[in-house]
Amino acid sequence: MLTRIATYASVVFLALSCTSAQQTTTLNYRDYKIEKQTKVDSNLIKLIAPYGDSVKLVMSKVIGFTTRGLMKRQPEGELGNFMADCLMEMGEKKFNKKIDISYVNAGGIRSYIPKGEISIGKIFELMPFDNLVVLQEVKGNILLQFLNAVAEKGPGGLAGIKMKIKDKVASNILIDGKPLDANKMYTVCTSDYTANGGGEGEVLHGIKQVNMGYLFRDALMEYVEQITKQGKPVDWKTEGRVTY
Amino acid sequence: MPINRRKFIQQTSLAAGALLATGLLPQDAEASSVTDRITILHTNDVHSRLEPFPQDGSKNAGLGGVAARAALIKDIRSQVKNVLLLDAGDIFQGTPYFNLYRGEPEMKAMAMMGYDAATMGNHDFDAGMENYAQQLQHGKFPVLLCNYDFASTPMEGKTVPYKIFMKGNLKIGILGVGIELKGLVPDNLYGNTLYHNPIEYANKYADILHKEGCDLIVCLSHLGDKYSDDKISDEILAKECFDIDLIIGGHTHRFFEEPRKYFNRRGGHTIVNQVGWAGIQLGRLDYSFSRTKKKNLAEAHTVVIGKNTS
Repeated sequence: MLTRIATYASVVFLALSCTSAQQTTTLNYRDYKIEKQTKVDSNLIKLIAPYGDSVKLVMSKVIGFTTRGLMKRQPEGELGNFMADCLMEMGEKKFNKKIDISYVNAGGIRSYIPKGEISIGKIFELMPFDNLVVLQEVKGNILLQFLNAVAEKGPGGLAGIKMKIKDKVASNILIDGKPLDANKMYTVCTSDYTANGGGEGEVLHGIKQVNMGYLFRDALMEYVEQITKQGKPVDWKTEGRVTY
Repeated sequence: MPINRRKFIQQTSLAAGALLATGLLPQDAEASSVTDRITILHTNDVHSRLEPFPQDGSKNAGLGGVAARAALIKDIRSQVKNVLLLDAGDIFQGTPYFNLYRGEPEMKAMAMMGYDAATMGNHDFDAGMENYAQQLQHGKFPVLLCNYDFASTPMEGKTVPYKIFMKGNLKIGILGVGIELKGLVPDNLYGNTLYHNPIEYANKYADILHKEGCDLIVCLSHLGDKYSDDKISDEILAKECFDIDLIIGGHTHRFFEEPRKYFNRRGGHTIVNQVGWAGIQLGRLDYSFSRTKKKNLAEAHTVVIGKNTS
């Protein structure tokens, strides 16, 4: 069948263009969709099975627990606060630098943490993307624009800051207890997604980033492990960081 | 090389004869022309998707997986003689397999499927160059990359700019190009790797392959198919190249409706194809060349694309 199609094409083409100075080639294409019902190669099944088993084992490994569970909420939720605090604390440790503000975009929080044990698999559900932790030095006036975009779209999680959202605009902004200074440079910790201009991060796009290849997901796992090591549950609260 | 009119008539009548079953064969058909075929199978951006997507009701549920891909490749290999199996990079990152094993099962699976060559994608740097260099020993295929200079990095000597494959009567030259790493890959992960202009380097090495007398020149590319700005892409490479017949692309995770065809600097066609990501699809391109036995193929190829519905 294949040969026949190729021959046809070649005849038709040659008949149309015998004056061409080109070598004629026929190309037949086909895209195969790899579907479940396609037959499988048992050698490959055998090859990946042991890896798959330990992947499942690792994913089910418990690294902490929560007595209340953590949920994503607007304008402020305990899950967003937890993730933003994680960026702040693990970011400062990794980059060895004082961070003024950390931010997690709402769209990047893909799940929640139910009451009970926290497995590695849960952290993967929460953050399936390979987002990286990045730092940026952002001038106060730009930071204000960013916070207005956050207020408009709805924050995921913020740390180091208190603010009100009124008519989708940020107001009463306090950073480390002091009003936002339009001329001051602030160290902001976010994911590379936000820093590259994704979602509400549009005004952050183009500002120099410090990036150490540190996955946000790894930061979350290390943070949970650190809390567990201290014998504490991963319980977080809302505390009026963002209010209407 | 102008098409030989006699050959044209002979070929036409040969084909027509075969189709109409008139039995009227030209006397010297065998001496004057042969048809060579090569089947290129390809993937890109498989992103550690060893198992099919989980059955969770999402769009891709149940799709992909190396076991099903391997069976399909085996089937095709049993049907056609000359096959090349290629990958355009980003083998790594995307499932917990990678987080745990840093690419080892991905590479072993590719070795088992018999990949002939691959190029490197930006995510293949994710666990560091040393890791990639180490995992490569499980891959058993050459990594083709002509525009990165890995001197004094852990990748030094681990890649080659191109490789020539003999398939039947055909000499197939394959080279590889990688995307600009700055801003895409964290600085500490690519270290001292030097990036060179992909167009300039692809042309330089394609010229070498051309002079080597390759019948088909293929470029594995992780540049991305096209962009809204002037960022270097497969589309730009296709228009700016001289000798590349086919660009197997990646990076942009695009499912092409059909291969794209561009006019290159020699006035021939350069084809670009890409098959999405995650091993959801396997691309197949069947080339067939007719030529007089004693002559090489022409400098530039005019390509007629058809859909294989068999």
